Amino acid sequence: MGLLRRHPALVPGLLFSAALLVAPALAERGTLNDLWNMAFFVVLAAAWNLLGGFAGQVSLGYSAFVGIGAYTTVLLANAGWSPWLTLPVGAALAAAFSVVVGLPTFRLRGPYFTIATIGVGEAVRVIASGLEFTGGSSGVRMPPGTFDFNSNYYAMVGLALFTLGLVAWLQQHAFGLALEAIRQDIDGAEALGVNSTEVKLQAHAISSALVALAGGLFATNFQYISPGSVFDFRLSLTIVLMPIVGGMGTLTGPVLGAMLFSYLQIKLLASPALRDSYLFIYGGLLIVVMLFEPKGIMGLWERLWSKLPRRRTTAIAEARRAS
Amino acid sequence: MQKLVVVALNSLLTAGLYATMSYGLAVIYGVMRIINLAHAGLMMLAAYATWALNDRFSLDPFLSMVIVAPAFFLIGMGLYATVIRWLPRSSAGPSMQSLLLLFGVWLVLQNLAYAIWGGDTQSILTPYTMESVPFLGGRFGVPQILVFVASILSLVGLNLVLRRTFLGKAIRAVTQNRDAAMLSGVNAGQIAAVAFGIGTAFAAMGGSMLSTLYAFTPDFGRSFLLKSFCIIVLGGMESFTGVAVGALVLAFIENFASAYTSIPVSFQDAISFTLLVVVLVAAPGGLPGLWRMLDRRVVAR
Repeated sequence: MGLLRRHPALVPGLLFSAALLVAPALAERGTLNDLWNMAFFVVLAAAWNLLGGFAGQVSLGYSAFVGIGAYTTVLLANAGWSPWLTLPVGAALAAAFSVVVGLPTFRLRGPYFTIATIGVGEAVRVIASGLEFTGGSSGVRMPPGTFDFNSNYYAMVGLALFTLGLVAWLQQHAFGLALEAIRQDIDGAEALGVNSTEVKLQAHAISSALVALAGGLFATNFQYISPGSVFDFRLSLTIVLMPIVGGMGTLTGPVLGAMLFSYLQIKLLASPALRDSYLFIYGGLLIVVMLFEPKGIMGLWERLWSKLPRRRTTAIAEARRAS
Repeated sequence: MQKLVVVALNSLLTAGLYATMSYGLAVIYGVMRIINLAHAGLMMLAAYATWALNDRFSLDPFLSMVIVAPAFFLIGMGLYATVIRWLPRSSAGPSMQSLLLLFGVWLVLQNLAYAIWGGDTQSILTPYTMESVPFLGGRFGVPQILVFVASILSLVGLNLVLRRTFLGKAIRAVTQNRDAAMLSGVNAGQIAAVAFGIGTAFAAMGGSMLSTLYAFTPDFGRSFLLKSFCIIVLGGMESFTGVAVGALVLAFIENFASAYTSIPVSFQDAISFTLLVVVLVAAPGGLPGLWRMLDRRVVAR
C-alpha cells in the first residue's frame, strides 16, 4: 500500500501498459502504428527529461542520438548483422558521443548550454549529409527481410516501459536527487558534494543510449533513413516540446506530452491544412506554456488541484487562521 | 602574398555583414539579458520582405532597407509589447524561459513565411548580382562591396545615436547597470522596448543584406544565428567594439580556413559552430575577458 501511496500513477500506468501489450491481438494495424509512434515518443520524451527536466539542462540537439542509433542499425545490418544485435552497439556509440559532446558543453550553464547544443546538432547533421558511408543526403535503406512489425512493436513498447521504470527508479535514488539539486542550484549542489559534471555526463549518457535504442528500432520499422528524417531539427524540436508541454522534471509529464504530440502528428498527417501550420502550433504552444505555465500540463494540474475545496486537518486550518 | 591580401580583403567584407547582423543580438542581450532566438526568424522575414519589394516594385534591395528597417523597428516594438514584456525579469542572466519563448516566436515566424510565400527557394537577382570589380589582383563581387558599405553606414549611424543622443546614452546606461540607470530617472521598460526595436531593425538589415548574397527559404537563418551568437560571445556579449572585433575574428577564421585548408565547402558552417563551443568553454568572457586575464597575468608578474 505504501508503494501505491507514493506513486498514485502506478495503477493507471500498469493498466495502460497491459493494454499496450495485448493490443496486437485486438487492434488493427493502423491503430498499432499509432501506438508504436506513441511509444517511440514516450522513449524520446522521458529520456530527454532525465537531463533536460530533472537536471534542467535543456538540449536542442537530441536528434543526433536518434540518428546515431538509426545509422548504426542500418549500416551494420547492411554488413550482415542481425538488427537486434546492432541496437546495443548504437546505444554504446551514442553514449560515447554524448560524453564527447558533454565534456566541453557541460561547462556551460543554462541558455549557453542550450545554444551550444543547437550548434552541435547542426554540425552533426551537416557532417552526416556530407559523409560518404552514410549515403549522403539521399540516405540509406535496410537490407530486405529485416522487417517484422510485431516484434518491433513489442520491443518499442517494452523500451518505453523500461525507460519509464528506469527514470522512476533513478528519481528515487541519490542520482535523481543530485539531478534535482543541480537544477535548483548548481553551486549549492557542488558545495554539498555533488560532482555536477560527472552526474550530468551520466544522465546524458543514459538518456542518449535510450534515445539511440529508439532510433535503431525506428530504422528497422521504417526501413529507410536519411539525414532529413533522423537528424532533422524538427525531430529535436518535438523531443524538447513533449516534456516541456507535459511538464518538465516529472515522471508523468513527458508521457502526457508524448500522447499529445503523437495525437497531433496523426492529425497533422491527416490534414494538409494542419500540416502546413504545424510550426504555428508548436511555436504557439511554446509561447503559451512559457508565458502562462512553465511547468506545463502537470503544473496546470497542480494549480487546479490545490484550488479544489478540500477538508483540511485542523492543524492546517488553525495555522491558516493564525497567519 | 597576393592571395593573402585578397583573402584578407574578403574577410573584411564579410566582417561588415557579420557585425550588422550580430549587433541586433548584442543590443537586446545588453539591455534585457535575453538571447533573442527569434533573431534568425526576423532575418529570414526581412530577406523575404526585401525580395517581395524587389519582385513587386522592382525596388533595389539596398534601397528597400530604408523601408524594411523602420518597419521591423515597429515590428520589434510590437513583439516586445505583446510577448516579451510579460516575461519575469532575471537579473542574473538569461533565463531558460525567455530562450524557449523566443524559440517559439521563431517557429511562428517561420510558419508565417511558409504560409505567405511557400517553401520554395527564393533569391534576388539585380543587374549587378554577377558583377565584380578587380582590385589588388583579386575580383570582388559588387553585392559584397555594397553590403560592406551599407553595414559600415548602419554601424556608424548606430554608434552616433548611442554616443550623442539621450536615448543612446540611456540604452548604454541600462546595459551597464539597470538599477543605477533607473535611479537616475531612465524608464527602463521604455528603453527595453526601444532596444528590442533597434535589435529587430538590425536583424532586418542583416536579413536584407543576406538576401542579396544567398538564396533563402523559410528555414533560412539558423547558421547565421549561430554565427551571430558566436560573434557576440567573442566580443564579450555587450560592447559595441567587441561585436566588431568578434565579427572580424570569425570572418578571418572562416575565410582563411576555406582558402588555406582542404575543409570541404559543405563543412564550412561547422567551423563557426566549433568555434562557438570552443570560445564558450575556453573563454566565456570572450576576447575582452581573455585580454583582461592576460593583462592581469602580466601585471602580476
